[in-house]
Amino acid sequence: MIKTGVYTFLVCALMGLTAYASFYVAPTEATMGLVQRIFYLHAPSGMVSLTAFLVSFIGSVTYLLTKKPKWDWLAVSSAEVGIAFCTVVLLTGPIWAHPAWGVWWAWDARLTSTLVLWLLYVAFLILRTMIEDHDRRALVSAFFGVFTFLDVPLVYGSIWWWRTQHPQPVVFTSAGLDPTMRKVFYLSWLSLSCLMALLVRQRYELEASREELRSLEQELEAN
Amino acid sequence: MKNLDSVFAAYLIGWAIFFLFSLSVAKRSAGLKDEISRLKERLQESLQKGK
Amino acid sequence: MRLFSNTAVLLQKELQAEFRSHELLTTASVFILIVIVLFSFTFDPTSAESKQFGPGLLWLAFLFSASLMMQPSFLKERTNDTLSALRLAISDPFAIFLAKLCANTIFLLITQLLLLLVFGVFYNVAVLSVFPQLAFVFFLGSLGISTTGTALSAISSQARMREVLLPLLLLPLLVPVLIPSAEATKALFEPEHPLRWDWLGMLIAFDVVFLTALWLFGEYLLEE
Repeated sequence: MIKTGVYTFLVCALMGLTAYASFYVAPTEATMGLVQRIFYLHAPSGMVSLTAFLVSFIGSVTYLLTKKPKWDWLAVSSAEVGIAFCTVVLLTGPIWAHPAWGVWWAWDARLTSTLVLWLLYVAFLILRTMIEDHDRRALVSAFFGVFTFLDVPLVYGSIWWWRTQHPQPVVFTSAGLDPTMRKVFYLSWLSLSCLMALLVRQRYELEASREELRSLEQELEAN
Repeated sequence: MKNLDSVFAAYLIGWAIFFLFSLSVAKRSAGLKDEISRLKERLQESLQKGK
Repeated sequence: MRLFSNTAVLLQKELQAEFRSHELLTTASVFILIVIVLFSFTFDPTSAESKQFGPGLLWLAFLFSASLMMQPSFLKERTNDTLSALRLAISDPFAIFLAKLCANTIFLLITQLLLLLVFGVFYNVAVLSVFPQLAFVFFLGSLGISTTGTALSAISSQARMREVLLPLLLLPLLVPVLIPSAEATKALFEPEHPLRWDWLGMLIAFDVVFLTALWLFGEYLLEE
């Protein structure tokens, strides 16, 4: 395993490289101009948030099957990081939309689905704060985590089909990426994925520390 | 250029969210680590007293 | 099969309990009625607008009412401490869920079909001519709502602020029920009243996915 410090440095370097590529290497897009460069942060963030939620789902299922706490730690850590990436999507979207199309928010399929996704996982976190007992909280939120992730493709599907039936002129396009743009996109995806892993690991260690504190408190009480 | 402002704003906000998340986790972690070392000391003391 | 006989027994118990008191059916129906009336103040209920906005508003009313109606499902077992007795008596925990969600589906369907008639009168929409098709759409939607609602009732009964928590958890989860149900209902209000199998397919997919998930993982929710 790479030491945290080294890995953090690598991630920062990658992010810096990505920013440079997004601003200077990627060609300017014909129709939207400069503002289209937000795409290199907006779109990969969306994909990385889904990856984080998938990891959270794996944590939830494995916890239900094994009851080992570390899977619950993974589930909650990944969910929180996923929400962070989701938030980036939801904030960069309007910042892109307003100069490009004059509206802050367009109920287009992807943005709307991301908003529902955000609401689902925020609900997941709120559920966890409403249950005091440690083991019960892990069990119940693992179950809800499974339900939530199973809902994700259904949410995307139904919203996408609904938008297809009721089309609107304003659309976020990533169609027609030229080769250089595609390379910058993949670089951004890579660096954001590495960032996701770093943040999940950091958050996971926080959960592990909480557990250590809890067991120390129990030991003290016993003595 | 107005559009360049938007691009900068988007990247700034994006990076700020990641940074703030990491910072908040780090702060909570540091607090917990302090608490853990305090408790470990107390546990050591109470174990020695027990002996 | 053991599962079905156990479910039948529990379902009978649930139905008897409700039909004796009528509490849930009455309050849910009145709630939906209130929402339908309030909606009339938010837009001009001409026939064209009613056909356009009506289905969505109707399904929103159904969702809000359901998120309140699902609460007692498991809460009453916890308050009366009958859950452990149920678990001991019934070997398959899925039977408990199946009975409750069938009962909830039936209750939802009854209130929805009743209020559909009221809606038809208030908003000048021809509902009787497509009543069987509408009932089918309502059944698929209600099954999805009660599958997830019953599971979440088992969750929220173990948590604080459960009255707010259940709707908060349930409503975003039901987006893939709201959209297809509203769209399929809207299609049935049109002159040609087609049965939209693309939307119904989505509802069936939702129902199958969550029934399966509940069957696979539901027992963990009932652990003490």
